[in-house]
Amino acid sequence: MIEDHSVKSDRPAKMSARNVNVFYGQKQAISGVSIDVDMDNVVAFIGPSGCGKSTFLRTLNRMNDTIAGARVEGQITLDGTDIYNPDMDVVQLRARVGMVFQKPNPFPKSIYENVAYGPRIHGLVDGKADLDAVVEQSLRRAGLWDEVKDRLHESGTALSGGQQQRLCIARAIAVDPEVILMDEPCSALDPIATAKIEELIHELRGRYAIVIVTHNMQQAARVSQHTAFFHLGQLVEYGVTSEIFTNPREVRTKDYITGRYG
Amino acid sequence: MNRLGLTDWNGPVMRRRLARRYAAERRFRLLGLGAVLLSAAFLAFLLVSMIGQGATGFLRTEVRVTLDFKAAPLLIDRAALAGRGADLALANAGIPAHLNAAATTAYGGEGAGYLSENSWLDVRDAVRDDPALLDGKASFWVAAATAIDLAAKGHGTAEAKAAYAKLKQAGAVRKTFNAGFLTRSNSNDPTRAGIWGAFKGSLLTMIVTLLLAFPIGVLSAVYLEEYAPRNRMTDLIEVSINNLAAVPSIIFGLLGLAVFLNTWQLPRSAALVGGLTLALMTMPVIVIAARNAIKSVPPSIRDAALGVGASPVQVVFHHVLPLALPGILTGTIIGMARALGETAPLLMIGMRAFIATPPDGFTDPATVLPVQIFLWSDEVSRGFVEKTSAAIVVLLAFLLAMNGLAIYLRNRFERRW
Repeated sequence: MIEDHSVKSDRPAKMSARNVNVFYGQKQAISGVSIDVDMDNVVAFIGPSGCGKSTFLRTLNRMNDTIAGARVEGQITLDGTDIYNPDMDVVQLRARVGMVFQKPNPFPKSIYENVAYGPRIHGLVDGKADLDAVVEQSLRRAGLWDEVKDRLHESGTALSGGQQQRLCIARAIAVDPEVILMDEPCSALDPIATAKIEELIHELRGRYAIVIVTHNMQQAARVSQHTAFFHLGQLVEYGVTSEIFTNPREVRTKDYITGRYG
Repeated sequence: MNRLGLTDWNGPVMRRRLARRYAAERRFRLLGLGAVLLSAAFLAFLLVSMIGQGATGFLRTEVRVTLDFKAAPLLIDRAALAGRGADLALANAGIPAHLNAAATTAYGGEGAGYLSENSWLDVRDAVRDDPALLDGKASFWVAAATAIDLAAKGHGTAEAKAAYAKLKQAGAVRKTFNAGFLTRSNSNDPTRAGIWGAFKGSLLTMIVTLLLAFPIGVLSAVYLEEYAPRNRMTDLIEVSINNLAAVPSIIFGLLGLAVFLNTWQLPRSAALVGGLTLALMTMPVIVIAARNAIKSVPPSIRDAALGVGASPVQVVFHHVLPLALPGILTGTIIGMARALGETAPLLMIGMRAFIATPPDGFTDPATVLPVQIFLWSDEVSRGFVEKTSAAIVVLLAFLLAMNGLAIYLRNRFERRW
């Protein structure tokens, strides 16, 4: 059964959302969501398709800015600073809050270049040796180093799907983020590749605040300590994963996790 | 009536259906094959007829004339041959009279008529290069008259053919590669006319067109695709660009005449003005092609770059443009090929002038290959017919070289994902 791995974090919340509404034009996609994300607990967003979990995830690093007509109300803070305030540099924000996407999307460049790209554009490294070290460290943390160390200069798109996704995680890690957002990172992967990514999430926990959107409830149960259940744009229930799955407070949550809809 | 469950998959009705479907497939495949073969046949016909007619344009017929400068010396100051006045001095030395006399002596009363009017220029060039020839008897191969030239290539009048046969028997006529065709400019005399001036004019014009249309077109496309807000204004711009791509080229010529020549007072007939005019015409094509290429870059690549904190400019220049480049280059090839073959707008800005020296710069009077072809096709003299075909061959070669370069670049930048 599900055990409670959640940790009472004594560190303050890394990111907090308060009363967040998101609109696409006239349509309201998210209403009144408040949530805290800390460094020690992986947060999983679950919910049926179209419930707004991915939309909400993308507000956390302002990827919604690229969508015409998207509008965010409410407050989202990173280390206490409002990320939607006009002084916030969105480019730097996205380096601090990295993202891994649903479909593995390595750049059509070499494995090395994929990982080196972020540090290079943010000026995080001095010289080649330093960059090499960052690339190696990132690939090691993403659990990919041993598989690719002999072919760093081959194309990143030639890797298998699971390797590509870990490459994308390495690419996100390479810019030294504080938060990593994962938008259904395993939905395009087979079970073995999925298991590797889940293992990786365990290892990364504590070093980065991690938020993962997933369709797969077993996965949410396996990788997260906190779970948020979204339905129709609202945050229905947010709590310790083991409690959500064994003893949900809301009927809607219970119906969803027992497979009544979704 | 419920027919489900009663379908006879092997019955005669089904078999007929199947046969009809196969026939339709076969018909369609044959139709496609036919279309491809037809276009290939047209292309082959074009190439064969152009090269067949044009090939002789690269040859010229020469007649041998022996001049005895000892017996009949040129009236010339030898010292003048060394300096820059050599051409002038030789022009006044009466070479044509010498040539005509020698030809008449050698080949009879008609002899002078076998030589091109400008054949003395061949003697002039030879003497200028080697003044020692003036000390004795020397044989020169000089340009044959157009009639003899045509007879040598199997055309021309019976009279000319007889004269050619006579010369040939005497060993006094030969056909050689017409190097002058590739190194000289336009001339009234088909035996002296060359394509180099027009070629260089085309080259300079294309450089101006490319330098203007490519960066402006690509940057406009990037702005419209990646930065511009979607509103009425951008819709209007989009429609205008699409319309601009369809505007008849002669109207761009009028615009060039009105703006570049009359208002800006730029030099008439210059490659610069031609390039500016053609750039106006090419730019919409490049914008449209580049926008489509940029659109086809997968959004996931943009997300990936934005996700690691690339700024919008970095996303465009590090990721979107490199991936869109093959498509952009394809559009540019099409636009530039159209510009290279364009005649009408250049006529409007004076590039149809008779220009006997190749342009030395962007502001020198110049003409371009298609205009040169147009002008020669308009000439009365029979000798220009094969020159026209030969010029077309040169134009096609230019086009092939340009496209080859672009395809090479495209393949170099092509990336798969």
